[in-house]
Amino acid sequence: MSKPNTVQTVLSVASCKLTRWALRVTHRGGTALPGKVARVFAKDILEAVSSGMEIIVVTGTNGKTTTSRMLEHALTSSGHPCLANKSGANLLSGVTAELTCNADWLGKPKSHYAVIECDEGALKQVVPLIHPKVIVVTNLFRDQLDRYGEVMHTADAIRSGIKKVPEAVLCLNADDSLVSSLAFDVPNRVVYYGLDTPYGDQKDVEISDAKYCIRCGKEYRYHYHTYAHLGGFCCDSCGYERHETQTAVTKVKRIAPDGSDVTLRTGSVEQDVHIGLPAIYNVYNAVAAVAAYTAFGLPKEEILSSLSDVHSSFGRMETFDLGGVRVQMILVKNPAGCNQALQYLAGMEEDFKVVFALNDRTADGHDISWIWDADFEQVTTDPHVQEVLVTGDRAEDMQLRLKYGDCSEDRIHLEKDQGKILEQIRRSTLPVYILPNYTSMLSLRKLLSEATGGSEFWK
Amino acid sequence: MELKICHLYPEVLNLYGDRGNIRCLTKRLSWRGIDCSVARVGIGDQTDLSQFDLFFIGGGQDFEQEVLLGDLKGGKGDAIRGAVEDGKTFLCICGGYQMMGHYYETYDGVKCEFLGAVDFYTVGGKTRMIDNYVFRLGEESGGSTVVGFENHSGKTYLGEGVKPLGTVLAGNGNNGEDRTEGVRYRNVFGSYSHGPILPKNPEFADFLLTTALERRYGNAQLEPLADGFEKTAHDAVMNHVLNHEVKDA
Ligand SMILES: [Zn+2]
Repeated sequence: MSKPNTVQTVLSVASCKLTRWALRVTHRGGTALPGKVARVFAKDILEAVSSGMEIIVVTGTNGKTTTSRMLEHALTSSGHPCLANKSGANLLSGVTAELTCNADWLGKPKSHYAVIECDEGALKQVVPLIHPKVIVVTNLFRDQLDRYGEVMHTADAIRSGIKKVPEAVLCLNADDSLVSSLAFDVPNRVVYYGLDTPYGDQKDVEISDAKYCIRCGKEYRYHYHTYAHLGGFCCDSCGYERHETQTAVTKVKRIAPDGSDVTLRTGSVEQDVHIGLPAIYNVYNAVAAVAAYTAFGLPKEEILSSLSDVHSSFGRMETFDLGGVRVQMILVKNPAGCNQALQYLAGMEEDFKVVFALNDRTADGHDISWIWDADFEQVTTDPHVQEVLVTGDRAEDMQLRLKYGDCSEDRIHLEKDQGKILEQIRRSTLPVYILPNYTSMLSLRKLLSEATGGSEFWK
Repeated sequence: MELKICHLYPEVLNLYGDRGNIRCLTKRLSWRGIDCSVARVGIGDQTDLSQFDLFFIGGGQDFEQEVLLGDLKGGKGDAIRGAVEDGKTFLCICGGYQMMGHYYETYDGVKCEFLGAVDFYTVGGKTRMIDNYVFRLGEESGGSTVVGFENHSGKTYLGEGVKPLGTVLAGNGNNGEDRTEGVRYRNVFGSYSHGPILPKNPEFADFLLTTALERRYGNAQLEPLADGFEKTAHDAVMNHVLNHEVKDA
């Protein structure tokens, strides 16, 4: 790796800022192009513009964005200004753009702290350049299969990233056998977090992304489950088992639409914490964030108090008021996350409408077959559901999935035009829940933001 | 009438929405008032396979396939070969399809012995063949068009005189070279198409059910169903693939 000289640095930073400015004044939300342009002038500009910063990197299948937001919120509300890549720009070019635009004209970073959400496949390109102090891995589920092949390949991709930064502290989900196996054969200091307590109905999961021991191939035995393949696993054959946690939820007291109350243990100290977001997966995101924050060397009180008013962000449980209609958007992009969202809807005590939006663009993964592994039945047969709308590039597939999920055909309405979807939502007398996957979330969110006077996502 | 379905190795071979195939089969039977049962038969289970009419084997992760090779050698392999020769219906997808052949040789030369129930073999390729694709079933498999999603780096080559399941219209199929897709041997239907394959291709789903019912009852005439949603989903992918429509932002 060659360090860029001053001329290269100035050109690179200037071109990046100019490109971003040009995209903004033309009202385009590109997040990758400025980074690509910056790298034309100085290939490793990312290393220069992040030099001296203290950085937390968040990766994993689900919960990257929310965990990052929790960390960012804790930092800023505790008087530590920080940079974060907010707009889902989590590949090399996007991270480059974010950090380069943060630097002054000579490439010196303007803020000391950063929280960087990083795509699992891009980790090995990004971390050797930004030298994170802490890497958090949230979980590993099947996702975007056509990009990475299979979940084991994703684990391997993360592993090869970790191998490039032996000095980084790893924060690993102890309940996820794939994630905690990342500690095998690496010199890094490791901190484990998780749920020390069972959650849910304790039935064995029919479809598991990690049923067999990653070390020896024997089927895991579980002392308890939390959700999907997460829980207290152990292998009777080789002895690989859930690692003891330094930071853990010891009790889940209440999970409600407005948030969760849990007891959280750090070291040997327990305290009650309110998390301002619903659903069990946000409990995981919170405990991951606490573990990372303390591993980062900052006082845990700062993050514990900030969790209570953490905001939903960017399509993750985000609520809009569309002319009096309450609209909540829940990003879903794989079976594990989708089942959690569906379970959340099935727990509603009010009548509502639901919109499923499914695209199959590059950022979504072209393979949409995962919809057959999510349990839509728990919502399609729910008497509270008054209408089901389907939209997106693959709306026809979603419509068919719902039919085979026991939804009567006359309750389903297919509408490819998202503008018309918005009009139908506006006319609703009931709250509407939108479950989009990634790129359909971006476009629907943009429409909703415009219609409700909110700001665009890249600002 | 009733049909007994066996889902083989559901705990390891369950990638890419395979569950949708089982759901499609059972729904299309129940909508016609035909009884059916699905037995999940996994590693270590000693279930008598000769009682079943239709077998489904799905795709799996490389790592987990090693776990089940031992189980195949422990007796299930013989039972499966027996059921194939007995004319039982098999739908085998991706990894489950490869498993029916002689072997899989990885790109760096490691050879993995498979069932050899059907005369073909697979070699690991350098690139993954990933995308929506379309093929036309051979006349002996109903002749309709099938839309699916392929995701494999293995290239499959059929033995002399072995019939493919169909001919590729757009995409790669068995190996990206000879325009064949899948295999049809006796009542074994092997394909790389997950997605899952059956819901969007109701004619093929019904062809499988008819084959299995005929094997058991001598003849079977399935009542037609209202396949509007199925046809809409099939045609949407078909048009997209054949028109190479560019829609990426
Ligand atoms: Zn083991």
